[in-house]
Amino acid sequence: MRIGISSLLICLAFAGYALQASPESLPSTDATNHTLYAFAAQSAASAQPSGALPLKLPLKPKSVRFAVIGDNGTGDKPEFDVAREMEAYRQVVDFTFVIMLGDNIYGRHNPRDFARKFEEPYKPLLDAGVKFYASLGNHDHPEERQYEPFHMGGERYYSFKKSDVTFFVLDSSYMNQEQLTWLEQQLRDASSDWKICYFHHPLYSDGKFHGPDLDLRSVLTPLFQKYGVNVVFSGHEHIYERLKPQNDIYYFVLGNSGQLRYHNLRRSQQMEVGFDTDRDFMLVEIDKDDLYFQTISRTGATIDSGVLARQSHSSNREQSQK
Amino acid sequence: MNLFNCTVAATWVLAASSVSLAQSAPPVSVNRNSLVIADFDKRVDEYVKLRKRVQGGLPAVKSKTTAANIKQYQLSLAQAIRAQRSQAKAGDIFTPPVSQLFRHLIATPLQSSQGGRVRASLRDAEPVHGLNLVVNQPYPQDSAMQSTPPSLLLNLPQLPAELEYRIVGRELVLLDTAANLIVDLLPEALPALQGESAKQ
Repeated sequence: MRIGISSLLICLAFAGYALQASPESLPSTDATNHTLYAFAAQSAASAQPSGALPLKLPLKPKSVRFAVIGDNGTGDKPEFDVAREMEAYRQVVDFTFVIMLGDNIYGRHNPRDFARKFEEPYKPLLDAGVKFYASLGNHDHPEERQYEPFHMGGERYYSFKKSDVTFFVLDSSYMNQEQLTWLEQQLRDASSDWKICYFHHPLYSDGKFHGPDLDLRSVLTPLFQKYGVNVVFSGHEHIYERLKPQNDIYYFVLGNSGQLRYHNLRRSQQMEVGFDTDRDFMLVEIDKDDLYFQTISRTGATIDSGVLARQSHSSNREQSQK
Repeated sequence: MNLFNCTVAATWVLAASSVSLAQSAPPVSVNRNSLVIADFDKRVDEYVKLRKRVQGGLPAVKSKTTAANIKQYQLSLAQAIRAQRSQAKAGDIFTPPVSQLFRHLIATPLQSSQGGRVRASLRDAEPVHGLNLVVNQPYPQDSAMQSTPPSLLLNLPQLPAELEYRIVGRELVLLDTAANLIVDLLPEALPALQGESAKQ
């Protein structure tokens, strides 16, 4: 399987290299096909020095731009490396916030740990005014919700809105009735064009270590489908994976912004792109009906990028107005 | 309606049927499970009242939003609760009848048609084993907290916001999250999963 994944990535690297285009030349996205652009590349061919910043986002005026990290809070060198790469991209992309997919602080939770595992690695971003919106993972203490830099407002689960995008942040370690009731009400009342959910435990995953959380899937996916959720981000598996749309919803797993489980992906029919040989983070730009994304390794290689069309089911505003 | 409600409702129906079918028998005990749950709720309420009393006596914290202040508040709260519950022991809230009912409520989804996915979720949730947990002591702060499958949570009585159920190995922990304090423990709450020793 290792050989299979590696071979695939190398092939895709060359394909991606050949297909690289300026963001302006990206074709529109086919709603039935979902993704016209998908090139995974992790090889010397695609790895470029950070200074070059091979940007795949169009940087359209008034678009919503953010970064995604997951399972980052180790305080070890790779976390710092990823954070450095994020800051390099921020200077170009000017993203204003970061969503955190859980396991924000591993191990002890003393003040020194918050400094070493969060405040120090992301200091340049924090100094630049970038806001972090955290979700709780199984290694997080629930009281992280009080920590101001995580912008959780003292809640285990919460929502926030940026332009025409509403984010629903869940505590997947403790999905009780109150949270499910809250989620349904929030999803029903949201009138944004884009509804994005994020939480720690993945509903779909080809990671060998954990795999998907089937019980969580059974309670969340009916709500996601009923209320037109567009995109779901999760962590927990220490790999990167973009899945083929499941019931017309885009799923990403990104749990390797600090941790890594080397060669931990098992290729399957549902996997679109996988990466399990280094750490990474993701950049997202949403402009009208398009979501552009670029996943970047800590060495600066673009390992995945593309554009996703807003699904036809998600005429959220119309749905809400009815 | 969740499984917990179904269980309680079914018990009510059975109790009512018993009354109508056996007019000559002595009065049937009213829904034993409901009484057990009511007793559990009462004990939880007593804990929450004590906690609120203790909280009121703590020095005001300017802001609980820095890591240092969060930690300081947590330690102060835990210390004050511990002092008020110095005699606390396992079983104070999970009494024998509550324990018996909870084991049943937890086993029900595991033995149902959805049991496979619940067991898979438990296996894949980075199970936490081997912790020496003690009532009225902190949950080890460098240990992960295993996620609790929704099907189990939805089948247990709801808790006030101050408390959470947590699975640790096969134990069910009643945790005060803000104080990071173990309020009570239910050993062998989960039936042994396949390939797992009964005494894990």
